[in-house]
Amino acid sequence: MSYWMRMKALLKRKELDQDLEDELAFHLTMREEKNRERGIAGQEARFAARRQFGNLGRIREACRDAWIFVSWETTWRDLRYGGRALAKNPGFTAVAVLAVALGIGVNTGIFSVLNGVALKLLPVPRADQIVSVDQAFHGKVRRNVHGEPGLFSYPEYKNYQTNNHVFSGLLAYAPFLDATALGGENPKQLMGAEASCNFFDVLGERPALGRAFVEEDCRAPGASPVVVLSDELWRTQFGADPLVVGKSITLNRAKFVVIGVAAPGFRGLDPWPSAFWAPVSMQKALEPESDFLNEDNTGWLALLGRMRPGVSLEEVRADLGVIAGRIDRQYPGRTTALVIHRATFMGRPEERSLVFSVGVVVLAAVGLVLLIACANVANLLLARASSRQKEIAIRLSIGGSRWRIVRQLLTESLLISFLGGTLGSLVAFWSLEGIARYVLSHLPHGAPELMWNVSPDLHVWGYSLGLTAFTGIVFGLAPALHATRQDLSTAVKGDSGGIIGRKGGGKLRSTLVGLQVAVCMVLLIAAGLLMRGLYLAQTVDPGFEMKGIIQAQFDLPSQGYSAEKARAFQRELMARVAALPGVDQVEQARVTPLSHQFMGTGLTVGGETQARAFEFNVVTPGFFAMLGMPMVRGRAFTEVETQSAAPVLVVTESTARRLWPGQDALGKTLRGEDKKEFQVVGVVRDSQASHLGQTDGLFFYWPAGPNEQERLQLLVHSKGSDVAATNGIREASRALDADLIVDVMRLEDNLEDWRIPSRIVAALSGVLGALALLLASIGVSGVVSYGVSQRIREIGIRVTLGADGRDVMKLVLRHALRPVIIGGVVGIVACAAVSQVLSGVLYGIGSHDPIAFVGVPLFLLGVAFLASYIPARRAVLVDPVVALRYE
Amino acid sequence: MEKEGDLMQGTLDMLVLKALARGAKHGYGVAEWIHESSNDVLHVEEGALYPALHRLQLKGLLAAEWGMSENNRRAKYYSLTAAGRKKLAEEAEYWRRMSGAIARVMQTA
Repeated sequence: MSYWMRMKALLKRKELDQDLEDELAFHLTMREEKNRERGIAGQEARFAARRQFGNLGRIREACRDAWIFVSWETTWRDLRYGGRALAKNPGFTAVAVLAVALGIGVNTGIFSVLNGVALKLLPVPRADQIVSVDQAFHGKVRRNVHGEPGLFSYPEYKNYQTNNHVFSGLLAYAPFLDATALGGENPKQLMGAEASCNFFDVLGERPALGRAFVEEDCRAPGASPVVVLSDELWRTQFGADPLVVGKSITLNRAKFVVIGVAAPGFRGLDPWPSAFWAPVSMQKALEPESDFLNEDNTGWLALLGRMRPGVSLEEVRADLGVIAGRIDRQYPGRTTALVIHRATFMGRPEERSLVFSVGVVVLAAVGLVLLIACANVANLLLARASSRQKEIAIRLSIGGSRWRIVRQLLTESLLISFLGGTLGSLVAFWSLEGIARYVLSHLPHGAPELMWNVSPDLHVWGYSLGLTAFTGIVFGLAPALHATRQDLSTAVKGDSGGIIGRKGGGKLRSTLVGLQVAVCMVLLIAAGLLMRGLYLAQTVDPGFEMKGIIQAQFDLPSQGYSAEKARAFQRELMARVAALPGVDQVEQARVTPLSHQFMGTGLTVGGETQARAFEFNVVTPGFFAMLGMPMVRGRAFTEVETQSAAPVLVVTESTARRLWPGQDALGKTLRGEDKKEFQVVGVVRDSQASHLGQTDGLFFYWPAGPNEQERLQLLVHSKGSDVAATNGIREASRALDADLIVDVMRLEDNLEDWRIPSRIVAALSGVLGALALLLASIGVSGVVSYGVSQRIREIGIRVTLGADGRDVMKLVLRHALRPVIIGGVVGIVACAAVSQVLSGVLYGIGSHDPIAFVGVPLFLLGVAFLASYIPARRAVLVDPVVALRYE
Repeated sequence: MEKEGDLMQGTLDMLVLKALARGAKHGYGVAEWIHESSNDVLHVEEGALYPALHRLQLKGLLAAEWGMSENNRRAKYYSLTAAGRKKLAEEAEYWRRMSGAIARVMQTA
């Protein structure tokens, strides 16, 4: 009823206004007549009626407000008014809009990246029904993990699949399966997945060609060598052959028949696209060194379920929790906590916490940039509001309510923020594709291609919209409240030639400048620390020799090599490589230094009961000499020890110190899980062979015996050119097995992979720091030049009274730089806290790096000085005659 | 701030409803009625009446109609709707209980 009347009112504005005028006029006439009857004469009768009635204007407005959609009507009026005000002052508008555009654009851009990586639902039909299931164990846990610790074993999957009441289907897949594909010119390294046979059905994905899996494919282990190709593999490997179904492809030396090709848009359930899918029943064929299907306690499968219609996440958690509890009964002392949520890319707990922690840091940084932008615009608005003081004062004094004027001013600031937000977001969306491509092309060597859909969706638009509105209110509210809280009489009189430092808005303005400088300081120091971290990472001495060493990495077990065949292959390859010109040493190691592969195991120190976690490597005797790692105590392994797989080991210096402080480590023993005892025969100097920038972990070396041959890599030292040695090694291995992929590169190239994350971070923080500096210096300079223009008269008086240019300059600069210095100090203190967090992320960086903490503040002070000096010079050039006449 | 005889918002609404209980009146009539029936104790700032009238109309408690006044002028007449009548009864009952209770409190001691 009331809405209908209001709608009508909106359409019949004129008529309604007339009615209201008539109604009020009628009242006044009646009262006037009554007053006459009472004997009040002439004009006085009318005036008395008006007095009795109260403030006509305000009442008229109150009645209208009752009728119209207050928000709509007045908003529209405010918008038009604000639009005119902005158009009248294009310089101000442009600067404000640009500042907001920068701030919001950066934020929106970063958010859409995070959204693309971690918040978007999977690109499958009705993705909101799909949930991911992960597990975390507590208490007494003994478990074999293949991949991430939250994965499930096949029997566990079957248990959840048959006993749940909440899913219309539950699928399992083993992500990140490395496979060598044969069939083309060269063997090709692919990443695929083993999937349960309901995989495509549960996801609702129909293959573009052929068929998906059927239950029959998963019935018996090893019985169904079939594969579904990704669209991309179909194009690259089979030239988009429409008759591909029925043809075969060799994966890890096993023949598979192509039964289908996935739709072009479907690239798997991880950010790293999958090239093919094979049934889980073919696990052993694809990974000959292991047989997971029957292992109860080996995690290797990720689970995703499609919820039945009407089932809530809570019900899923409760239902699966019961099953988890039943499984736990087989493992006394262990409790399983399931982690269940809507499935996204990067949804497993480890990935999630990584994305979350990185996201928080980055969003905080770009949030600070936005804060600086807000402070800028707030300052501009404050300056403008004081030049509009008269207008506002008049509106207030004729009965305009303060709230109405605040709303008017807020509308203007929202207008600015929406203009800026739209501009910034559009530029961000437009440029993001390019940036994403740039980042992707700079990922570490060998990192699989990342698929990254950063195009904006509802989340991003909502975020950008909310941020824009919030921004408009943040930078608009303080100036609006400030502008309407003024002393009416002085404002109307137009006394704006105040004294430096005494003006009302001055304090707020200085606070805003101080805030900008503080935030800018935090960002710049953080950026400085990051850059220093990068510099240190690039110049860090890993503590061992890399020059002239080539590594050759290959995976024999997955290619079906038996232990015996592997031994023969290694022996032959080493002989051929050793014969290459220039090669003077060939050694073997389970993992090559700094290759981002880490081996870990639990060992018990003699005399202790609890096992400790160690990292280890398995190496041949010459390894230490080749890499220039001298023995501090004892000796390296001997040939005899490697050949006989003797129970000996070499520990690092810091390990010896930690385990046996003040004692000689030689002869001490460590006990393996199978109670086998190993004796320390040597202590090697510390190096950063596993993690660049870290030496503190417990680390030991085992001798590479005959039983290790299938898993060893080669390290080759050459006196000649790296290129010749690299090619020589490639040819030698190709001659032995043309189908084996051997990754040959310089050991030094491993360093690059360690530097790339910090290079990306440093680039990002450098850009953000530059933005922050730009915004803050605009802010400082704007405030100083505004201050000068407001005080021209005072400066004129001072000059007339005998002050010279230096006095004036000193006066202006002192006032300009005080908030800068206060803000700077606050920023340094805040950053000291922030850097504690950063130093955990970046290797080799002290959280109190003096160069960043002294250099950056000096730099910022210099920029602030320059930013205030330029407008301050105007003050010096003031002609006192002009200044005194200046209103 | 509060002067003697000032009215609280809700009370004004109630008085307006009461003024119209005996039939339609224009705004001036409502003001006059409140003056007279309160023996000039309640000073309603007369203008304040109009936003209240319009608000009540929008709430559906009052109906409005343009008519001719006793001295032949176009005037907007307000009357109670069924909802308005019901609201008046509720308000009156509430007021009766409140004022009674307050009176009792003030008399003790």
